[in-house]
Amino acid sequence: MEGIAAAALGIALGGSGLWTLVRRRNVIWKLLGLNVAAGGAILFLVAVAHRPGARPAIEGLGSGPAADPLPQALVLTAIVIHFATLALALVYVIFLTEHRHTQDVHKLEREPEEP
Amino acid sequence: MRWLAGAAVVALVGLLALGTWGLFPRPPVPSWEEATAAFGARNAVAAIVLGARLWDTLLEVLVYAMALVGVRMVLRPLSRVQPVPPVSETPLLTRAADILLGPIVVFAIYIASSGHLGPGGGFPAGAILGSGLLLLALAKGAERLAQELHEPSLERVEYGAIAALLALGGLILVLSWRGSWLLVGANVLIGLEVAIGAWVVLHHFASSRGEV
Repeated sequence: MEGIAAAALGIALGGSGLWTLVRRRNVIWKLLGLNVAAGGAILFLVAVAHRPGARPAIEGLGSGPAADPLPQALVLTAIVIHFATLALALVYVIFLTEHRHTQDVHKLEREPEEP
Repeated sequence: MRWLAGAAVVALVGLLALGTWGLFPRPPVPSWEEATAAFGARNAVAAIVLGARLWDTLLEVLVYAMALVGVRMVLRPLSRVQPVPPVSETPLLTRAADILLGPIVVFAIYIASSGHLGPGGGFPAGAILGSGLLLLALAKGAERLAQELHEPSLERVEYGAIAALLALGGLILVLSWRGSWLLVGANVLIGLEVAIGAWVVLHHFASSRGEV
């Protein structure tokens, strides 16, 4: 039950994050939406690894069926890559703000670049 | 050309479909306890990250390093000439940082070096060490801490850690060495890399906008 609830929450977070990513015009809001969507994906992966009454996938720790270790390893990768790419994206936003003085996507697309 | 590409796509999809239906012989999959013990670990996640999916982890560390190179390249010319004056020091924060820094560093080393036996590993250790550096930056001011840490030598340590990690990965992947010490070494190196990366991001963001 917890697994299904967590998976549903992960999907909802991912959906709302992607909605923000598509609908908002501010770049920072878009990155926030991407951040929330990534959190939803991470929660979904952890929920997939869940089994009712499972123990951690560590030898000699409890008894019974173990949780699936593969999605947990994927989550480890996802978190670190997410941090690095988010930092790089924010740096690009700083660069845009310094040079174009706007964070609105429509203005960035329509107005010509200043020489 | 278009026909060739289409044929290649159809062949690839067909191969994948045949493989999923079980046309090709598959080796028997050992239980995860056996596979974990073969890599010299007891934590199955560590055995996957540093054993079965080591290519993934190595390339992930490379992606991380490339992102850091990007952060450095773009933000270095944008650094403010006259940074905003630092926040005045509070005795509570400086004293707390003094007391907490030692336990944080010891805890990070413990998490990194016991990651193959229990919960932990290189990535959480790096995050813990990075948060310790954030605490120091809050207490001292990022610019002062950057001068004390000496950026060029930090950069050398970072690239050295990546090179050593690639060498360890070669030992595990190409020469198929196994053993707990390989996992401990890889975890410590990954922790070092992640912590230095977190500090680089923190420092460049702080110095381009003023202070922490």
